[in-house]
Amino acid sequence: MTKVGWSFVETAARLLACGEREVVLGDLLESNESAWQALLDVFGLALRREAGFWKDPRPWVAGFGVALPSSFLLMGVSLSVCCTYQRLINHRVYDVWWPTGHEGFSLLLCHIFLLIAWSWAGGYLVGSVSRRTLWASTALCFLPSLICLGRFPLEALSKLCLFLFLLPATLGVRQGMRNVRISFRSAFLLALTVTVLMTSAWSSKALWILNWALIWPAWYLVATTWRSGEEGRSGSRPMHHATYTRLSLR
Amino acid sequence: MLGEFEYLLITAAAGLGEEAYGAAIREEIEATTGRKCSIGALYTTIDRLETKGLLKTRMGEATPQRGGRAKRMVRVTPKGVLAAKHFYDAVTRVSRGASWVANRTGSAS
Repeated sequence: MTKVGWSFVETAARLLACGEREVVLGDLLESNESAWQALLDVFGLALRREAGFWKDPRPWVAGFGVALPSSFLLMGVSLSVCCTYQRLINHRVYDVWWPTGHEGFSLLLCHIFLLIAWSWAGGYLVGSVSRRTLWASTALCFLPSLICLGRFPLEALSKLCLFLFLLPATLGVRQGMRNVRISFRSAFLLALTVTVLMTSAWSSKALWILNWALIWPAWYLVATTWRSGEEGRSGSRPMHHATYTRLSLR
Repeated sequence: MLGEFEYLLITAAAGLGEEAYGAAIREEIEATTGRKCSIGALYTTIDRLETKGLLKTRMGEATPQRGGRAKRMVRVTPKGVLAAKHFYDAVTRVSRGASWVANRTGSAS
């Protein structure tokens, strides 16, 4: 195999996990295959590994159950927060179809907190259950944004307003991927606060009915932290939520 | 019951004994069957068999021939031996009387 061919094979092998990459490259060197055949072998293995991840329901849940619908809903909330802020602070009046209504400062603060909490919890969930398929969840997250940017005129507002949710969501994804441990008490407190604030916004007619779907990542965190706490108490080795994920994705 | 490729892999690994690792198993399968064995099929099957408890793997030594890269050594477990035996028995039983079996009783040609 030529040096150039081998460098292509080594680059392609980056698609594989570190330990497996070394073994596979060693095997390919030993069998002295052509660069083209070695490339096909590496891509074939990477494809099989990727397909293997999708046999688990979790990447599907992360992509189609959280990333796609949440990003669509959170874009709406981001836009609503921006419009309300502009109306309250800069006294800018928008057309009737803009998502700003009668909210005052207290509801604006409530929406800002909810936006951060929803985004972070959704991001944490996606990061922890779909570490190896994060590229797909990210693509699904950006899909509604691309559609909205293409279809809706946003001259009155900066386009960045659509993406306010991305910062806390990215933080959540990073923490989910890094196995940042969350105590049951913190998870419960977060879910409870989100529920109370959502109920309050709902009673003030300041919450879209579909936004209730954004509550489940927070309660999912409560369930998983409770489960890992139960296992710790029952004497078995306490396992972090992300460890379950890693094992299930192997 | 094992699949055909799973059986081939276990048999090749058992035959190689202490020298069973990815590249050697692959070479053995290709030499005995005359079929191409892709690295993808090999390693995903090794993983599957290891999950079922039919194989055990460990990282072996690195050799200069492999550019200083480690081997993934494979060992067939007693459960794997039993599963391969069951597969072989089933194939032998089902093949009894088949026209392509050389020493079958009452063979036509």
